Amino acid sequence: MTDAPASAASRERDRPVVPQWLLQQDMAMCPCGCIGKRKKGSYLTKTIQGGSKLLQQVMFGEDVATARGLLQRIDPRVKLLSLIGLLIVAGLSHSMIALGVMYVATVVLASASALPVGFFIKRVWLFVPIFTGIVVLPATLSVVTPGDIVLTLWHWNGDPQGFTQQGLVAAGRVVARVAVSISLVALLTLTTSWIRLLAALRSLGVPRIFILIIGMAYRYIFLLLTSVTDMYQARQARTPGTPKHDRSARAFLGASVGALLGKASQLSEEVHQAMTARGFRGDAKTLEIHRPRAIDAYYVVAVVIFGAAILIGDHLLGR
Amino acid sequence: MAVDGNPDASESCRAPKPAEPILVATGLHYSYLDRYPALNDVSVEIRRGERVALLGANGCGKSTLLKVLDGLIFPTKGFYYAFGQEVTEDTMEDVQMSEGFRSRVGFVFQNSDAQVFSPTVREEIAFGPLQLGLSREDTTGRVEDVTAMLGITDLLDRAPYQLSGGQKKKVAIATVLVMGPEVLLFDEPTAALDPRTQYWLMDLIEQLGESGKTIVHATHDLNALHRIADRCVVFSEDHTIVTEGTPEQTLADRDLLLGVNLIHQHSTLPSPRSGAAGAIRDAGR
Repeated sequence: MTDAPASAASRERDRPVVPQWLLQQDMAMCPCGCIGKRKKGSYLTKTIQGGSKLLQQVMFGEDVATARGLLQRIDPRVKLLSLIGLLIVAGLSHSMIALGVMYVATVVLASASALPVGFFIKRVWLFVPIFTGIVVLPATLSVVTPGDIVLTLWHWNGDPQGFTQQGLVAAGRVVARVAVSISLVALLTLTTSWIRLLAALRSLGVPRIFILIIGMAYRYIFLLLTSVTDMYQARQARTPGTPKHDRSARAFLGASVGALLGKASQLSEEVHQAMTARGFRGDAKTLEIHRPRAIDAYYVVAVVIFGAAILIGDHLLGR
Repeated sequence: MAVDGNPDASESCRAPKPAEPILVATGLHYSYLDRYPALNDVSVEIRRGERVALLGANGCGKSTLLKVLDGLIFPTKGFYYAFGQEVTEDTMEDVQMSEGFRSRVGFVFQNSDAQVFSPTVREEIAFGPLQLGLSREDTTGRVEDVTAMLGITDLLDRAPYQLSGGQKKKVAIATVLVMGPEVLLFDEPTAALDPRTQYWLMDLIEQLGESGKTIVHATHDLNALHRIADRCVVFSEDHTIVTEGTPEQTLADRDLLLGVNLIHQHSTLPSPRSGAAGAIRDAGR
C-alpha cells in the first residue's frame, strides 16, 4: 500500500483536467422568467411521439385482452373463424339497415367484452373517414355516379352537377361495410392477446416458421421503437430552443436509421445465437394448447344464426 | 459420443471423477471480422462441478470465450473439446452431437433481450425443451417447476416487453435451467441489475454450484467472487490469460489486478470473506 501523501498526490495527478469553459456557470435562461416564442412540434417529433403512444396502446391492449369479458373467454380459433365468416356476411350485405344492425352488434359485443365503448368507437371512426371517405368521395358526384341530384354544386352545359342520391347511397354502403369490418377486426385484436392470435393462425394451417417470424418481429419492434425514442430524446435533451428542420436534422435522421440498422443486425445475430444455444435447428417447435369448451360452441351457433339472419334480412329488404 | 484426440478423452469411458475436465480448450485464437482480435492463444480447462470466474476488463475476450465454450462461434486456431468430443462447426452439424451438447451446456447471455425472443414468457421457457424433443406435457411440467423455483410463475403469460430488467434476467435464467444442463455459462450475470436481484442471482449461482452444476461466469465484479467461484481465470487486455488461481490468491495480487485493469489504484479491494461484499450484500437486503 502507498502512504497517504503519495496517494493523495497520485490521486491529484490522475484527476481529469476540466477545461475552464466547463467550470463557468452561465445563465442559460432569462432571469426574469419570461417566455419566448412557441413553435409547434415537427413531423419527426410527432412520429416519434406516435411511436411511444403506440407502445402505450399495445400495453393497454394486452390488459384489455386479458380482462374478464365475453369475447376474452372464447377460443381464439373460434373468434378468428367467426371473424372471417362475419366479414364475408358484411361484404355480401347491401342494405344499410343490415349493416347498421351489424355495427350495433359489434358495439354491444365490445361493451360485453369490457372494452371502453368510447375508445372502441373512436378507434374505428378515426380511420374510416380518412381512408375510406376520401376514396369514395368522387363516387358521390354526378360525374362518376349519374342519378338524382340532391345537392347542386355547379352546372355543365346547362345541366346541374353535384351529389347524387345513388352516389351517396353507394358511398354510404362502402363506408358502413368498412366500419363494420374494422369493428370486427378491432374486436378480435383487442380481446385476444398476440400470442393466442398467433396460435390460432398456426392451428388454422399458417406455416410454423411464418408464425415464429411474425412473433419475433412483433417482439423486437418494441425494442427498436424504444431505441428510437431513446435516441430522439437524447438528441432533444441536447438541443436548446426549437429543433431546426435543416440539414443537421436530416443528418440526424440518417444517422439514427443507420444506428438502428446496426443495432438490429447485432441483435438479430445475438438472437440467433440464443436460439441455437437452446437447440434450435431451423424447425421451431412451440407450445400449442387446444381446449375447445362449451362456450365456444354456443358462440359459433350464435354467430351462424346472426350471420344467416343478416343475410336473409338483407335479401328481404333488398337494395 | 466418440472419443478422439483429447488427452483426457480416454478417461471419459470410465466412471466420472469429481475433478474430471469436461471442457478443454487449447490454444484458442479468434478475431472479429479477421481484424479485431478477441482471443489470443487462450487455453482453459473446466472440471466437473467447478465454479470458474473469467475475470477481465471490458473487451478482453471473456464473452467470446463463453461463446466458444457454448459452440456458438468457432476458433480460427486451436481446439475445443466438450465431454471428450471435439466441438467444431462440422461436428455441431451432427444432430446427435448437437442435441447432446445443447442439453448439457446452457448459456445465459448478458443481453437478456436477445435471449427472451418469444411472444410470452411461457413460450420462451418452453422453447429449449421443445427443440430438444421433450413432449409438450413434460415441457409444461418443467416450465411450472422452474418458474416456481425462481418465483416467476406470475409472469408466465406476460410479454417480454412488459418485464423489468431483473425479471427478464430471471426469465433468461429459467430458459436455460429448464433444459437441466450440466454446465452453466453466465455472461456478466449481475450487470445492470439492482442490488436485490444481484444478490438473489449470486445466491442462486451458489446453490446451483452446491448441487453439483459446473458454472463458468464472466465478470469484472470482484465483490462476490469468493461466493460464486472456486477458481479465477484472469484475462489481460491483450486477450490472453495471464493467471489462474483461487479467489483469495487472485484478490491478494493487487499488482496483477491493476495490470489487467480490474481495479484502479485507488480502489479498495473486497476482503476475501467479508468486507465490501458483505457490506453490499447487507445493503441489498
